[in-house]
Amino acid sequence: MTRRFTALAALAVVCAGVELVAGRGMSPGVVWDVVNGGGDATERHIFFQLRLPRLLVSLGAGACLAVAGLVLQSALRNPLAGPEVTGVTPGAVLGAVTATALGLAGWDSPLAVVLAACTGGCAGAALLWLLAGRGRGDPAQTAVHGVLVSAVLGGLTAMVLLVEPGELGSVVQWLVGTTEGRVWQHWHLLWPWALVWGAAAWLLAGPLTLLRCGDDITLAAGLSARRARTLALLCAVALTAGAVAAVGALGFVGLLVPHLAVAVFGADLRVSLPGAALVGAVVVCGADAAAQVSSRLLAQGLDSGRLTLPVGALTACLGAALLLVVVRRTPSRTF
Amino acid sequence: MAASSVCALSLGTPYVPPHRLVGAVLDGDSTLAGIVVTELRVPRVVLALVAGACLGAAGLVLQEALRNPLAVPEMLGVSSGAALGVAAPLVLALSLPAAVQPLLAIGGAALGGGLTLLAAGLGRSPSAVLLTGAAVAAALQAALLVLMVMADQLDLQLIYRYLLGSLSARTWDDIAGLWPWLLVAVPALVLCAPVLSVMRLGDEDAEALGVRAQRARLAALAIAVVLIAPVTAVCGPVAWVGFLAPHLARWFNPSAGAVRWLPWSAAWGAAVVMVADVPARLALAPVETPAGAWTALLGVPAGIALMRSGGRGRAARRAPAGAAAVRKALHGPRTAVSAAAAGVPRSRAANDARRDPPGADGACLPPSRPTGTEDAQ
Repeated sequence: MTRRFTALAALAVVCAGVELVAGRGMSPGVVWDVVNGGGDATERHIFFQLRLPRLLVSLGAGACLAVAGLVLQSALRNPLAGPEVTGVTPGAVLGAVTATALGLAGWDSPLAVVLAACTGGCAGAALLWLLAGRGRGDPAQTAVHGVLVSAVLGGLTAMVLLVEPGELGSVVQWLVGTTEGRVWQHWHLLWPWALVWGAAAWLLAGPLTLLRCGDDITLAAGLSARRARTLALLCAVALTAGAVAAVGALGFVGLLVPHLAVAVFGADLRVSLPGAALVGAVVVCGADAAAQVSSRLLAQGLDSGRLTLPVGALTACLGAALLLVVVRRTPSRTF
Repeated sequence: MAASSVCALSLGTPYVPPHRLVGAVLDGDSTLAGIVVTELRVPRVVLALVAGACLGAAGLVLQEALRNPLAVPEMLGVSSGAALGVAAPLVLALSLPAAVQPLLAIGGAALGGGLTLLAAGLGRSPSAVLLTGAAVAAALQAALLVLMVMADQLDLQLIYRYLLGSLSARTWDDIAGLWPWLLVAVPALVLCAPVLSVMRLGDEDAEALGVRAQRARLAALAIAVVLIAPVTAVCGPVAWVGFLAPHLARWFNPSAGAVRWLPWSAAWGAAVVMVADVPARLALAPVETPAGAWTALLGVPAGIALMRSGGRGRAARRAPAGAAAVRKALHGPRTAVSAAAAGVPRSRAANDARRDPPGADGACLPPSRPTGTEDAQ
């Protein structure tokens, strides 16, 4: 187990290194100079004010989404319950977009965006909760209702955007999820939030493992299934909202990274929750690095500077492919 | 529907009172009202009717062929594929002749739908197909969003409006492009309707009656693609009409078969789009909201409600079980939607009602009846 953690941590360091080197505007050699204390003022500024916070934000957001996904999947006993298909992410997006459109929040007040996203995420989850019969429905029904709730929330977001078309340009990037232009302010908001709720999720690992086994076993062990599930869902919603407020609706990370984490670390949540955080960080960071490299190549190939590939597009495409594998591999009776 | 068409023709700026509509249409070019009505509102109404009918019929074909009440164009990636096919040349500033546009949309739609069916396996359980479709749709959507990020601000609003499904500013020229496709699609629909009513008995029974189930499904998908793609090319994917219309059709005559639901579903689709277009034009008066946003907002909850109440009603009615129900189904098909077709609530009801050993807790597959799922495994 320790060896796996070490290997993953090494992988994370490698991804981080690639991410630092990959961006536009500086060659890898210059980056090395800057790390060693050299470089001129512009290069130092690019490195310390743009690349480093971007790297940290992508690591943190990936970890948040992955932990939220694993908590959701365990609490709802549903291998397909990611934040995207349970109405949490669309709700958070709706909350943030609405707050921006009403002028309550903006890029100058990220805290308000986090709060609005959190409220929206809770509302989305509550809507699903009501619709699916307060958690007693079977997993497949919950998943189906989740997709439908997400569709409704997406429609609402579209309406808000139509009323405030001025926001469209800045919001579209954000609907797909991007780490472009994240600065220290975002990171300072993200890390305490992620730390608190991540710790809460880890403390819930025991009850969650029981919930995974089914309500009967949970009750037999003397634990109120409903209370434990509510706490776990609160945790998941908060983590998702924090991540969405930081990087936007990053597709499919919360749905698929938990599967990877369970495959690598086994089903013991005390181990696989931190494991999922690590895997999520690696995946998002790696995807971001890949997106930067490929948009650099695209820009060279097509000779146009405004072409950038947001990381969300990459994770969505990768995630969709992986989801197909998961759906096909899992015995059909589960769905 | 008549009332809503009158509303659609007379409301707006300038307001034309209903009793003067006929006069306005007859003396076409002479007055302002006449020009507005004949050149703007009538084509819009016709487009709403045609688009709604196509989407409704396509929704029913997909739902019946896959035996899945959630198999709607949006969920199978068909709509997103078509939208991608239309939006890509717009963003990349490629100039294409107008005749090619529906072809691109068809290509995209076929790509999306084909990908989903390929990945999900043709006969798998409803929610597996649904979730796979959601994944494919999300991937296509991501591709679209990437295109949108590249577009500049003016294009962006146009594309966004189009992507939600808007009927504004469409003229007779746009509608004229639809006719050839409809000429292909309508006979195909008439031909496939009887096959659809056989398909719902389950693959094995269908094969016994001489229908090749897999081929029939592919054909149904092709028909749906031909129906949806041209509409999408003209007015964008008006969301969730294909979900709501078939459920409405079933709700109002639950005992009819697929053959009779087909025209009803088309009619309901037309009515839904037409009704949605009125608030779309008037709600935020100077600004037009796209009709697709309204159908998405209202259609999904309404569809869920219909699906749930329908499932409950049938569970109470479902007395005969198993093969008897299948035989009976030839005459009264509604009782015999196989549980695999019926989606989650219904299949749970089936498990309760039959007292067969269920496959697992909350399992979706019908325990007793052989269906395509076995083939897929």
